[in-house]
Amino acid sequence: MKYQRLSILALSAAAFIGVWWISTYVYFNPKIVVPPNLVAETLWEITRNGELFEHVWASARRVVVGYVIGAVFGIGLGTIIGLYRIAEELLEPPLQFVRNITPVAIVPLAINLFGLDEGSKYAVIVYSTIIPIIFNTAGGVGGTPQIRIRAAMCLGAGQADIFFRIVVPSAWPFIVTGLRIALGFAFMGVVAAEMIAADEGVGFMIMQSRNMFLPAQMFAGIFLLGMIGVGTDRLIRFALDRLMSRYMMTLNSDVGVT
Amino acid sequence: MRNLKFDNVTMQFPRAEGGTVEVLRDITMEVEGGSFFTLLGPSGCGKSTLLNIAAGFEKPTQGSASLDAETIDRPGPDRTVIFQDVGNALFPWLNVWENVEFGLKMAKASAALRKERCDKYLELVGLSEDRGKFPFELSGGMKQRVQIARALANDPEILLMDEPFAALDAITKRYLQTEFRKIWKDTGKTILYITHDIFEALLLSTHLAVMSTGPNATIREIFKIDLQEPRLTSNRDFAAMHSTIEGIIDEEVQKSRAS
Repeated sequence: MKYQRLSILALSAAAFIGVWWISTYVYFNPKIVVPPNLVAETLWEITRNGELFEHVWASARRVVVGYVIGAVFGIGLGTIIGLYRIAEELLEPPLQFVRNITPVAIVPLAINLFGLDEGSKYAVIVYSTIIPIIFNTAGGVGGTPQIRIRAAMCLGAGQADIFFRIVVPSAWPFIVTGLRIALGFAFMGVVAAEMIAADEGVGFMIMQSRNMFLPAQMFAGIFLLGMIGVGTDRLIRFALDRLMSRYMMTLNSDVGVT
Repeated sequence: MRNLKFDNVTMQFPRAEGGTVEVLRDITMEVEGGSFFTLLGPSGCGKSTLLNIAAGFEKPTQGSASLDAETIDRPGPDRTVIFQDVGNALFPWLNVWENVEFGLKMAKASAALRKERCDKYLELVGLSEDRGKFPFELSGGMKQRVQIARALANDPEILLMDEPFAALDAITKRYLQTEFRKIWKDTGKTILYITHDIFEALLLSTHLAVMSTGPNATIREIFKIDLQEPRLTSNRDFAAMHSTIEGIIDEEVQKSRAS
């Protein structure tokens, strides 16, 4: 079973690289769409000279700071919206409006507000992450089955017990889904911010490579984003599954709104 | 043991299109402490609403429910509801043992007492071996037994049971009905039981209230059920009682069709 899955994975990766390789020569100009072997060479080179680490570290640092701020405020706000009808009615319309505005569009505003330094990057990442976290948390908190709450009341649970022992555990799977979606959004946000104003980071590396006509390095940057995305998603899923397997049993399928 | 009383209980709900609908009209009745009191009636007649009022989940528009002189105005550990939707009633992140222990933890009972009660009631419902399992690993019937053990471990005065076995398959249902009758005899709790199943009502109850069809539902008649034991469908008194009740229910259904 395990071997079967691994070999399918290998086949899928091989097919992806194969199609990429052939199409660079057949359909595109290899100077624009760089074949995978050259991208691999470039990746190896920038790994050796330390450039790759510098850019990844710059982006990762920004993502961590922005993501943590977004998560704390997102879970807080989402909980309030989920608990209080009036908060939901007041906050839902503006949030619905804002969620459709892509992070790329607010980069210029973030720069005007927070300057060219780290502040504007954090702001963009917080903006990208907070919305899915708010919606998922609110859905989980507000969607706690009424019977579950009533059952706890019949067993003598007070307000605080109901919140911490019933509502929070019921909402966990939803919050976790929000956190996972938000992590992907955080990387989209940071790349957008770095493309417009930065002197390091993966987004900067891609944009600079284009400006200096280093297509192999540009592809290396794009490839890197995919790798980082898959890697961090696996990591967060692994960590959360370990920590919260109890709470994830509530659900058999994926949930969440983006 | 205190009696559960309903005094002139009327319940109206707002209708979506405006105005109100009256679900219960002026219901007065008394559930004697220690009795197994069943509310029987066609679906939609307001049985569950009456139970929710006794639980303290809902407040009647007029009148009140009380335990002897104490008016019921909120849920409390002296009255535990056994829900039909056991999938949501059990806490999925707690295993069987932890579910049963929940009420005792709320009451800040000592570890020794918690252990004693959990052991006792898991044994009573026959789930001692399954204490470490999580709800998703259990069948519907097992889940319902956990819910019963969880309620009993908390030692409430009254169990309020809202069609607890209606969602189970026929064989499991029959098994649990007989098991639960024994448990009731062992523990002597006061029970307010809701069902639309005449057979179930006759098998379990000491008192049986037949409700009229809603809206404006009232109690049509209360029977004291004193049948020959063991209660079997083949017994003459059981069969006679069954057809009497069936006659009343048929009449009620006819009335609601006609109106």
